[in-house]
Amino acid sequence: MGDGRIRIKFELNGSERQIDVDLSDSLLDVLRDDLGLTGTKRGCDRGLCGACTVIMNGKAVNSCQIPAMRANGKNILTIEGLAVDGKPHPLQEAFVDEGAVQCGFCTPGMIMSAKALLDQNPDPSDEEIKVALSGNICRCTGYVNIEKAVRKAADDIKSLDL
Amino acid sequence: MEEYKVVGKSCSRRDALSLVMGCAKFTDDLNLPGMVYGKILRSPHAHARVASIDKTEAEKVDGVLGILLPEDVPDVLFNCGSSPPYPAYVKDERILTAKPLYAGDRIAAVAALTPKACEEALAKMAVRYEVLPAVFDVRDAMKEDAPLIHPELFKSNVFKKTEMKQGDVERGFQESDYIFEDEFHIPSVQHVAMEPVSCICDYSREGKLTVWANSQVLFHDRRILAEILNMRENDVRIIKPFMGGGFGQRQQLHNQPVGALLSKLVGRPVKIINTREEEMYASCVRMSCICRLKFGVSQDGRILAYHVKVYGNSGAYCTHTPIVLGSMSKKYQYHAPHYHFEAFSVYTNAPVAGAMRGYGNPQLTLCREIMMDKMARKLGIDPIKFRLMNHVEVGENFPGVPFTVRSCAIRECVKRGEEIRQEIDHKEVFLPKDSNTVESWGVAFGCHASGTTDNEGMSSSAVLVHDDGTMTLLTGTSDMGQGSETAFSQILAEEMGVELKDISVTAADTSCTPYEQGSFASSQAYVGGNAVYNAAVDAKDKICSVLAKYYGIEPEKISHKKGVFTVKAPEGDIFLSLKECMAKIAFGKEGTAIIGSACYKADRSPAPFHVCWAKVAVDNTSGVITLRHFIQVADVGTAINPDIVKGQLHGGTAQGIGLALMEQIEIDKTANKPSTSDLLHYKVPTSLDMPEIHVDIVKNSYEPTGPFGAKSVGELSTVAVAPAIVNAVSNATGENSNFPTPLAKVFLLGGNREDFFY
Repeated sequence: MGDGRIRIKFELNGSERQIDVDLSDSLLDVLRDDLGLTGTKRGCDRGLCGACTVIMNGKAVNSCQIPAMRANGKNILTIEGLAVDGKPHPLQEAFVDEGAVQCGFCTPGMIMSAKALLDQNPDPSDEEIKVALSGNICRCTGYVNIEKAVRKAADDIKSLDL
Repeated sequence: MEEYKVVGKSCSRRDALSLVMGCAKFTDDLNLPGMVYGKILRSPHAHARVASIDKTEAEKVDGVLGILLPEDVPDVLFNCGSSPPYPAYVKDERILTAKPLYAGDRIAAVAALTPKACEEALAKMAVRYEVLPAVFDVRDAMKEDAPLIHPELFKSNVFKKTEMKQGDVERGFQESDYIFEDEFHIPSVQHVAMEPVSCICDYSREGKLTVWANSQVLFHDRRILAEILNMRENDVRIIKPFMGGGFGQRQQLHNQPVGALLSKLVGRPVKIINTREEEMYASCVRMSCICRLKFGVSQDGRILAYHVKVYGNSGAYCTHTPIVLGSMSKKYQYHAPHYHFEAFSVYTNAPVAGAMRGYGNPQLTLCREIMMDKMARKLGIDPIKFRLMNHVEVGENFPGVPFTVRSCAIRECVKRGEEIRQEIDHKEVFLPKDSNTVESWGVAFGCHASGTTDNEGMSSSAVLVHDDGTMTLLTGTSDMGQGSETAFSQILAEEMGVELKDISVTAADTSCTPYEQGSFASSQAYVGGNAVYNAAVDAKDKICSVLAKYYGIEPEKISHKKGVFTVKAPEGDIFLSLKECMAKIAFGKEGTAIIGSACYKADRSPAPFHVCWAKVAVDNTSGVITLRHFIQVADVGTAINPDIVKGQLHGGTAQGIGLALMEQIEIDKTANKPSTSDLLHYKVPTSLDMPEIHVDIVKNSYEPTGPFGAKSVGELSTVAVAPAIVNAVSNATGENSNFPTPLAKVFLLGGNREDFFY
């Protein structure tokens, strides 16, 4: 098995969590296997497909490439933490409305990449959207409706803020 | 045309909210009590004999519960390709083998408490291989002195010939004014569905097996599993959870037989999830092939004769190859009084070929549509005009296909696409001629089928009508992301005259959903849709006959239209909603339950059509190709859900772009195995690789045999994408060369792409 276990503390979807992790565990292992947050997907385990994207301290990261220990003291947001009081986030709504979901396996990672983008850049250009999503592979949609959904969500969030 | 309430309208996928919230459960998201993990030891060699295996050290790994070697599993030959049991599906593979035939073949398997323990145990398995000579290219495999891949079954690596003939092709060539001939080498690509192949197998003490798997073909999987495990089919239950894509990769068994036997061995449920690397080299790929095409054409541009020879690289096992090759022959959408199609299935030690979106059609259409352009150019005819003047029309048959075309809006596709193209050209000025970058458009036509082209399509459905007038649709089909459950709900809602929210769906569980052939061959909208439609009609008939009893009148005196049942009672017409009917039926003194059910057996497979345009820019210095625009206009008959259809067109376009410009399984000739075994070395299109995509569906097409006029779309969407791009590149560079040569010069390979072909 692993080389030993270590206790980490971090903020996960707004709550403080403490958990013992194996030194060889990735953040993805801990989220899925230890914490049961299976919304974050394992698509390649090599940081090449983006299905496991979560937001760590404001940045979209491939959780399969983050040693769990490195989450210590960090703020982690997963797809399960986007809804507020059970209400879907505007990105989640836009993905439904724009037909941006086919098989849906890449969707959580895609939404997290988009969330990280919109948090930093509320009014991205089409090119900026493409760049932000370029680490997330989707094999079903050709990205057309996904990009539309991100655009729509950006507009929706702006109108909410007004 | 009749105005529909639900059909023809776009609505979101019925399960989209679960997916965006991250709560939809895919196979790997399920954890059963007591569940452990399984992993397969795969051959590192493309052709070898296992001289010895020692599992002693592996068994000592903490957490290991059991190990299976080839001698521990039933020694039965099977074909993992899940289709009806045609003789062409040669049974040539084993659950575990001591004579691996490709790098990735299954040698042994381990079950352990954690995935890490599985990996550690596999690393400690001491296997000694006697390496044998391997072949990867069909031309090498066909040589006299080639190593035989299956000597116990065939004395040649060419294990099957598939042929179709119409007229006398030699006479046709003699009567022709021009002969055009070419040879094409189409490389292999992989599906790269985002969810890896996954299964959980639970073999109970009572000898019953339950499998959760991302499968497209539950009932065929069940039949094959029962056969190789010597079980009865009712003791095998297969359930499909949420499924992350398929594209044909899951039209076959993968790790389920090993998983079932591991579960039996350790007495606990076993989960096996492929790594992405296993997906790439040890699941299946799109068949690579060599295609030789020869056309005979009259002076005025009529195709008189067409001869095709295809050598398909099946890889180490047969799986679907002979049928993939055979179905290629039935997608020829032009006239040819004299037509001869010959295809050869060839064993090699390359990754195993399986089913993939289009099932052979994209490969041959790519070759054919490149030639259509070349012929038009030589004849001095506009390429679109040349195609249209040879195109099959309504009332005619595709060469070699027994049924008549009943709907074809190819001319409308051309018209609509040309409008879009002109709008683009109007907005964007072409770069000046002396510029270093040359821009050009290219066009290609394509078609596909709605269900298998051998008329074997079959689906069945049941509708449970509840006492409040809502209903549950039971369907055995697998929605893998294409939205079939949503489209079925729309068909049912339309026919029953209810709202979409009145319908729920229970799908893809062999213990409670009716038998059907599976989600492949683009059969859902047409074959599955007809079954749902018929089940709705049956439910309504049953409601009418029970109401007749209730009112003491003849069933003919009750009719239904748009959700209202009209009872012609002696005291006057009574109008009832479905809810009111069901209240009388369920709670009346002769209370009964309404289960509508029906089967649909296809006697034809109507072709959907599309026309694709690509606009490329080629840099003359670097040779870099930039894809600027892609237009795809399709004739799918009635689009049950236009947004879902357009989503398919988008996705098929992306996969076609991958085939034309980016993707290729490559064999490392030193290591004798694929070098493209991860997503770093195998590039699929990302958001940054996509051009501007313009898709549309022509409105005035109606397939008289389809549910509400529908045909298919899933596979069609990728068929003619690659040739449109290649033709655009040829038009830009003026090169008269074959795929993939023009691209080889400019892409990563930096040389003759043929070197990488196997």
